Amino acid sequence: MEEIPGVIRTIPLNYYIFLSTALFVIGIVGVMVRRNALIIFMSIELMLNAVNLLLTAFSSYRSDPAGQVFVFFIMAVAAAEVTVGLAIIVMIYRNTRSVDVGILNRLKW
Amino acid sequence: MVDLSQYTLTCALIPFIPLIGFLINGIGFRHIPKGLVGLTGSAASILSFGLSLYLFNAFLAGGNQSFTVYLFDWITVGDLRISFSFLIDQLSLLMLLIITGVGSLIHIYSIGYMKHDAGYGKFFAFLNLFLFSMLLLVMGSNYPIMFIGWEGVGLCSYLLIGFWNKNTNYNNAARKAFIMNRIGDLGFLLGIFLIFYTLGSVEFTEVMPKAATVFGVDDGTVIAITLLLFVGAMGKSAQIPLYTWLPDAMAGPTPVSALIHAATMVTAGIYMVIRSNVLYTLAPTTLGVVAVIGLATALLAATIGIFQNDIKKVLAYSTVSQLGYMFLGLGVAAYSSAMFHVITHAFFKALLFLGAGSVIHAMSDEQDIRRMGGLRRHLPVTFATFLVATIAIAGIPPFSGFFSKDEILMHVYEHSPVMWVLAVIGSMMTSFYMFRLLFLTFAGTFRGTHEQEHHLHESPASMTIPLLVLAILSAAGGVLGLPEVLGGGNWLAKFMSPLFDLSRQVRPESFTQTHLSHSQEYILMGVSVAAALLALGAAAVLYVSRKAVPAPEGTRLPALQNLIYNKYYVDEFYNNIIVKPLLALGDFLYGVFEFLVIDLIVNGVGKATNGLSGVFRRFQTGNIGFYIISMVVGIIVILLINLRGFIL
Amino acid sequence: MFYSVVLLSIFGILNLFLGFLKSRAWLLPVTLLFLATALVVTLTDWNKSLFFWNYMMSTDNVSVAFATIIIVSAMLILPLSRFYFPNAAAPVPEYYAILLFSVVGAILMVTYENIIMLFLGLETLSIAMYILAGSDKRNPRSHEAALKYFLMGAFATGILLFGVAMLYGATGTFNLSGLAQYVRTTLVNGASPMLYLGLTLVLIGILFKLSVAPFHFWTPDVYDGTPTLFTAFMATVVKTAGFAALYKILSVSFTGIYSVWWITLAATSVLTLLIGNITAVYQQSFKRMLAYSSISHAGYLLIAVTAMGQTSQSSILFYSLAYTLATITSFAVLILVNENRAGESFSAFNGLARHNPFLAFALTVAMCSLAGIPLTGGFFGKFYIFINALEKGLLFLLVVAVLMSAVGIYYYFRVVIAMYMRGSDDNAVADRIIVPKSYAAVLAITTFLTILLGVAPDLLVRYF
Repeated sequence: MEEIPGVIRTIPLNYYIFLSTALFVIGIVGVMVRRNALIIFMSIELMLNAVNLLLTAFSSYRSDPAGQVFVFFIMAVAAAEVTVGLAIIVMIYRNTRSVDVGILNRLKW
Repeated sequence: MVDLSQYTLTCALIPFIPLIGFLINGIGFRHIPKGLVGLTGSAASILSFGLSLYLFNAFLAGGNQSFTVYLFDWITVGDLRISFSFLIDQLSLLMLLIITGVGSLIHIYSIGYMKHDAGYGKFFAFLNLFLFSMLLLVMGSNYPIMFIGWEGVGLCSYLLIGFWNKNTNYNNAARKAFIMNRIGDLGFLLGIFLIFYTLGSVEFTEVMPKAATVFGVDDGTVIAITLLLFVGAMGKSAQIPLYTWLPDAMAGPTPVSALIHAATMVTAGIYMVIRSNVLYTLAPTTLGVVAVIGLATALLAATIGIFQNDIKKVLAYSTVSQLGYMFLGLGVAAYSSAMFHVITHAFFKALLFLGAGSVIHAMSDEQDIRRMGGLRRHLPVTFATFLVATIAIAGIPPFSGFFSKDEILMHVYEHSPVMWVLAVIGSMMTSFYMFRLLFLTFAGTFRGTHEQEHHLHESPASMTIPLLVLAILSAAGGVLGLPEVLGGGNWLAKFMSPLFDLSRQVRPESFTQTHLSHSQEYILMGVSVAAALLALGAAAVLYVSRKAVPAPEGTRLPALQNLIYNKYYVDEFYNNIIVKPLLALGDFLYGVFEFLVIDLIVNGVGKATNGLSGVFRRFQTGNIGFYIISMVVGIIVILLINLRGFIL
Repeated sequence: MFYSVVLLSIFGILNLFLGFLKSRAWLLPVTLLFLATALVVTLTDWNKSLFFWNYMMSTDNVSVAFATIIIVSAMLILPLSRFYFPNAAAPVPEYYAILLFSVVGAILMVTYENIIMLFLGLETLSIAMYILAGSDKRNPRSHEAALKYFLMGAFATGILLFGVAMLYGATGTFNLSGLAQYVRTTLVNGASPMLYLGLTLVLIGILFKLSVAPFHFWTPDVYDGTPTLFTAFMATVVKTAGFAALYKILSVSFTGIYSVWWITLAATSVLTLLIGNITAVYQQSFKRMLAYSSISHAGYLLIAVTAMGQTSQSSILFYSLAYTLATITSFAVLILVNENRAGESFSAFNGLARHNPFLAFALTVAMCSLAGIPLTGGFFGKFYIFINALEKGLLFLLVVAVLMSAVGIYYYFRVVIAMYMRGSDDNAVADRIIVPKSYAAVLAITTFLTILLGVAPDLLVRYF
């Protein structure tokens, strides 16, 4: 069986870069235009996954495991973030029966 | 050469004794008995004075050699090493003697004056803290220490103006003083940074020789430095346009007005210019600005002083005006004459304020001169000393004010006869409003309530003794700088002369010996004395013979008409030639200046900031979507800037 | 440093177990003891240059100093929690544990040698802060603060990570010295857009945590809504750690391409100074004013980073310490005033000087320090930073900074004026705030140190 880095290398590096940049930008746009806290949160996850993909690709092309190790750290931290983030969103939902970030503007000026 | 190590302790003790006094009174003011508080505070000041005298004697004995006393390394940043050290030379010694000498008298006076105040301990603590900061200011051997002292005196002034913090007006005054001073300090700080940037040092003894070699005459940088430093001086010494805080500062207790707002702190700006005289000499343009602003301030404040009915306000405007004269002197490079006026002014203005304090004390806190009158009989000592001070400030010989003011005027005449004419008009107004104050307060009949009249009494000895001492000094202070034409040797100018050696080298033409003949000098003196006497006559006719009393607020016009109606030829002459133009000019300046310039510039900056703040605040909408979009826009802009090389 | 990280993590877990105990009385002393232990362990690394975990972490005197500031600020803030939670059911042990974990994150941020550790430290600190921001579970303001902080923080993390990926793509390493090596050797052949893009995005990710404009928007809202105790933590520990991290990555790896990043920092610091100071003028709430003030201080600190001179790190160190001390004082007094007088606006401070001269004095010293008035630490903090700017010739930055520090005086002194010059409306006797001993001790320490730094700055600076 062919080694995974070799499989990854069958696609040119630039394609990975373009794909993950596109995913990243989609994530940013999602954060910018959506008002639902959950969807914003998903968009952020999309940004993180774009980074993961990019790191994996670089790591394979350089035959350097550090990039993939970093991916594991990102995944672990993202999991922690999800836990805290969802807890906060649930807490807000319980109080306001809504996850719309637009109505949260008690703090301003 | 002087053995330096022998004086280290003395020099260190001079400022630190008041600091110890502050700590004792400041920490223990609730526990120390009242008598001891005043004693501690005054003793600290007197001890400092004694040490200063000792140091001064040693300095004279050691052949007038200036020296630096190194205490410890204070700040180290990279190549910059700033030590905590004191520079002892003619200038700092003179300032030391004034500060501790006049300061001691005012401390003693305060024992009587503040006796019944609840914040007695706090008051002495602040007063000692002020002395400490002021001594740091004048003793520091580099700009940062001077700046620390500069800030410290500002802070103490702020604390003492707002000392009776029950009344909102007082607090606004304290705030105004603080903010205006900060505007000035900003200029000062920028000036220090610029000095460091261009010369790589902030020690006076290094900056001055370097400046003399690095800068040419009227170099742009040296103009910028001196102008920035002068902005600092404007704030501290109440010059246009940062002068309005000083009259408001009269809300503080009277000894504070005497010490801080007349004798010492407000002269810090003049001290600083003399200390940096090499820089200023290198920048004739700045000197021109200094002279014009000084003259304008002197005239403006004098005209305003004519209309004031609050005894302390008159004195405050008079201080602003006298400070203007000092800056005028500096502006024509007559540094030692300005210093001479600083000294005599410290004597007679402190005396005037303390006398006013004595009057206020006797009148049960009344400050309006329209309700005084005839106090001569009740307060004989106060009257006599006040009279001496008034004659001194009016510039009538042989009292001290005449000599110092005349020396400045003489130099101004050499510089520009037009300025001299204006300055003489100013001194005429000075004489007018001071005698007006004197007559309204002490001559005629009493105009206050019966209750007040019943309470009238001469002040206790702790208050009158300082008055007497200051009166002697005000009368005789002129001998320090008796001009040659009157048979003196002008000891002060000779004593201070080494300070200006370097300035003389860089621009000899600004120090050319007087080219006036003796007869010309006599004429100039005669004119200024005649002007002062003329104004004295006007005041006497108006307020003694005709018994005019300024009308209560709001009815100025009928009073004016009343003044114009005159039976005597002399009166009409005075009215038409002197009083009316003066009143008109004063009204005009007061109106136009106060409301246009001060409101527009000084308050305008504040309003603009406030308005801008209201606009900026709107960006904080509270909406996450907006925040994220702004962030993304920010990111895109930054990326475009950083990657411009690759995109274009 | 290695041991203090390990110890603090274990202590944090231990703290969670302490929650099972009935008595809460021991909780605070034990947690302080934990921190003190970590402090001693940290200080043993003084004058040693060490690497840990295969070049993941390194210590030198500067990182020891920063770690000390962080641990000491945690030790000063913790005693303020003494009477902070009126609710007996409040999960105090959990809060303490989270605080200890966040200190671990902050220490990682000052000692990292590898970007992985920077990321972990940043996230450990941030996630802890997200939780603490929302810890007032019944207060909708706290919810809003938590959600805003979380969403925007996570977004900034995404940006940071993309930057890290780009850096990795360009250089093939996460190691700071590896990056420096790349900048020194490979880059001579020509500029790399990927490296520049990566560096810029990493900077933006860190600048967000430091609340530098235009990434500052979260700061006022989050500081405002977060329970004041934790705001104090955010304003001090997060900022100190963030600046240490920013300075480290730039000074170790990227001095070779100074011309690339200095404009970004200079521009953002000007913007930060303007927005922070000018917006603060309008605020009616003391707490919100402090939030804007913390933005503006980020602007001053950024000047020192931009200057990147020989003495920049000691300036940053000094400024952070002075700022931390003054900020802790301000928040401590704010907590007391808010608990006793029910208000965070300036008017809640009216007449404080008459009833509580000690509180008023401490707060005045703190305000003077923040405003940069001499004889307080804040003055020398600004002084050193201005000197840095001068040495680098950043005159424009200097002028903006000096002008803005004048604006600062205006809003800092509003509270001083309120305390000393205005009388309070209510009954005078009832107005006296009873200051708990723990608060008095903290205030005494911070005030003393603030003045000490202002009188003898060389005590600290001579070591760096």
